[in-house]
Amino acid sequence: MANTAEQETQATLDESATPILELADATIKFGGLTAVDSVSFTLNKGDLFGLIGPNGAGKTTVFNIITGVYKPTSGDILFNGRNIAGLKPEKVAQLGICRTFQNIRLFGSLSVLENVVVGGFLRKKTGLFSALALLPPAVNETTELRKKAMDLLEVMDLADVAQSRAADLPYGKQRRLEIARAMATGPDLILLDEPAAGMNPQEKEALATTVRRIRDDFDKTVLLIEHDMRFVMNLCERIVVLDHGVEISAGTPDIVRNDPKVIEAYLGEESE
Amino acid sequence: MNPAVEIQKPSLLKFWGSRVISAIAAIAFCAGIQSLGGPLADNEFLYRIIVLSGLYVTLAVSLNLINGITGQFSIGHAAFYQVGAYTAGYLTVRMFSTQQIGEVPWLILMCLVGAAAAAITGLIVGLPSLRLKGDYLAIVTLGFGEIIRIIAINIDEVGGAYGLSIVPKIQSPWLIWALAILCIAVCRNLLKTAHGLPFLAVREDEVASSAMGVSTTKIKVTAFVIGSSFAGAAGALLAHYEAFITPDMFKMEVSFIVLTMVVIGGTGSITGSTVAALALFLLPEWLRGLKEANGDALVVSAPQLLGATLAIIAYIALARRVRDHYHGKPIQKAGFQFGVAAASLVLFFLFKAVFAQIGGLAGHEGWEINSLRMAIFAAVLIVIMLLRPQGVFGHHEFSWAWLKSLFVKKKQEAS
Ligand SMILES: Nc1ncnc2c1ncn2[C@@H]1O[C@H](COP(=O)(O)OP(=O)(O)OP(=O)(O)O)[C@@H](O)[C@H]1O
Ligand SMILES: [Mg+2]
Repeated sequence: MANTAEQETQATLDESATPILELADATIKFGGLTAVDSVSFTLNKGDLFGLIGPNGAGKTTVFNIITGVYKPTSGDILFNGRNIAGLKPEKVAQLGICRTFQNIRLFGSLSVLENVVVGGFLRKKTGLFSALALLPPAVNETTELRKKAMDLLEVMDLADVAQSRAADLPYGKQRRLEIARAMATGPDLILLDEPAAGMNPQEKEALATTVRRIRDDFDKTVLLIEHDMRFVMNLCERIVVLDHGVEISAGTPDIVRNDPKVIEAYLGEESE
Repeated sequence: MNPAVEIQKPSLLKFWGSRVISAIAAIAFCAGIQSLGGPLADNEFLYRIIVLSGLYVTLAVSLNLINGITGQFSIGHAAFYQVGAYTAGYLTVRMFSTQQIGEVPWLILMCLVGAAAAAITGLIVGLPSLRLKGDYLAIVTLGFGEIIRIIAINIDEVGGAYGLSIVPKIQSPWLIWALAILCIAVCRNLLKTAHGLPFLAVREDEVASSAMGVSTTKIKVTAFVIGSSFAGAAGALLAHYEAFITPDMFKMEVSFIVLTMVVIGGTGSITGSTVAALALFLLPEWLRGLKEANGDALVVSAPQLLGATLAIIAYIALARRVRDHYHGKPIQKAGFQFGVAAASLVLFFLFKAVFAQIGGLAGHEGWEINSLRMAIFAAVLIVIMLLRPQGVFGHHEFSWAWLKSLFVKKKQEAS
């Protein structure tokens, strides 16, 4: 893959003018617990952005309020300039944000291919009646969706298991299938929640290449959560660090890596 | 590992060819049912159950769309059957003689009316309960089934507890089976196209479905309304075939039997629901034989109701297990669930013994076989759940390719 430093300067020079996602003082409280506390950051189009922090920092909760699983208690979430805070998850997906799940949530008894078709179905054009009567429009669209899904499976290196039951896949492949399914919805922004969790070093390497491809070849903006520091620092161009729901640091991997607050947060975690 | 799949458009010839063949087969089948009336003229009972089993196929396959394919938990399907039956039956009584419409077109119209009435009812019942997470639908449909029956008992305009006599009698055996085939075709078509996948996805994981842009409420309500409307159309045909309907024909027992058919057949499998519907409807009817005593409705229904209640407890315990199985969760508290199921069965037989004494004193024997039927269903259900929680057919469907593969394999083994 090309020089990330070069891409970074390019990103900051040309494209910083087009923010795609802005969190403005996003806050969510669960009873007495403030899981996300006035978090603000901005993703620009084409960013490969990392969200890190110790366990329980509120990272997944940030994904949940972006994708409409929870409505933020206060604050705004702007996607392409539109406030999406509190929209239903399906609406958010239709607008062009899709995600993967930390605790894999595939459609277990469907085939790998069918899982991806469910993602692609979001952009369907034919109606239910056409399907119930098995009219050519629905049949042809089904073929097209399956073809597109198959193409995505090739990209994610899952073509050989297309007909397997999703639940029967090994862990690493399930994670890749989650990404393929999310990609199938045709999002502008893709959120990956710990995509490398449970992978071995080779799989992680391949995953990093794939994530770069998603950004470079498919023109997606990527926001990812990851615990593996090496993985994040090598892959992401900008990073936000959360701890106890609060944003404690932000910037390039170098800035974040050397930030005393970040070191302290992670050390604190280790000593706990 | 499976090889990568080639995805191609079906050729035009194959696409239309298979549909024409299916249509011809369906027409031939319906014509066959209709013409069986001749040779079976002296065995009216046999012909009757062959015809009526078509209604149970419709009921089971349509409930399978809601419970099996979409993973919801409706346990009051008889309510929609009843709504269709009463709406269509009442309209025929009031209006048929004033219209200049032939019998068959009128019957088809009444099917549509029954379906529409059940669909609207389904929307009213389903919309509020399907928006919520959890088993609200089960509670609501169970309650609704009883409410609608009691409403019918209390409206004299539709005959109250005595029932509604539908004149003129418009029987059309082929139409009953045409509806069953339509119901099977609609469900199969749904699963053949990508449009069926969101339904399955909702069953598998609602959170993931909505994250993929699936409007889960819309999908659940759609399945519920389509399923209910088929039950309504079946009700309309029942009313006209029997020419007499009573609230008793739509008791919880009916819902329970249809549920059993779906679970035993393999929740999600259309083939399974169809085969189980036929087996579970035809076998006991056969056993019951011609000389079914119609008995005193009140004495008949008391032990049945009790049996049904206990069996439903067993059912709920077991259905939870099926759901956990779907979601790939480890089956938790299975021991407890089976305890509940077994205890309810034991209780059932105990009560039955007591009632048998009372019934014997009162000289009623008619309900014996009927309530035993419930017990047999419950027992079969438990055995199936133990040995094969995914149902007899699991998620599998009958297909010609599968049939062919059986023979091809055999040939290869032989050579
Ligand atoms: N629905 C909820 N109700 C109550 N508390 C919640 C809920 N969801 C999350 N939390 C709490 O919010 C905090 C942040 O959780 P979150 O899952 O976002 O952490 P995370 O940064 O993703 O951690 P990890 O690295 O372990 O995945 C935790 O204390 C968690 O218990
Ligand atoms: Mg998390």
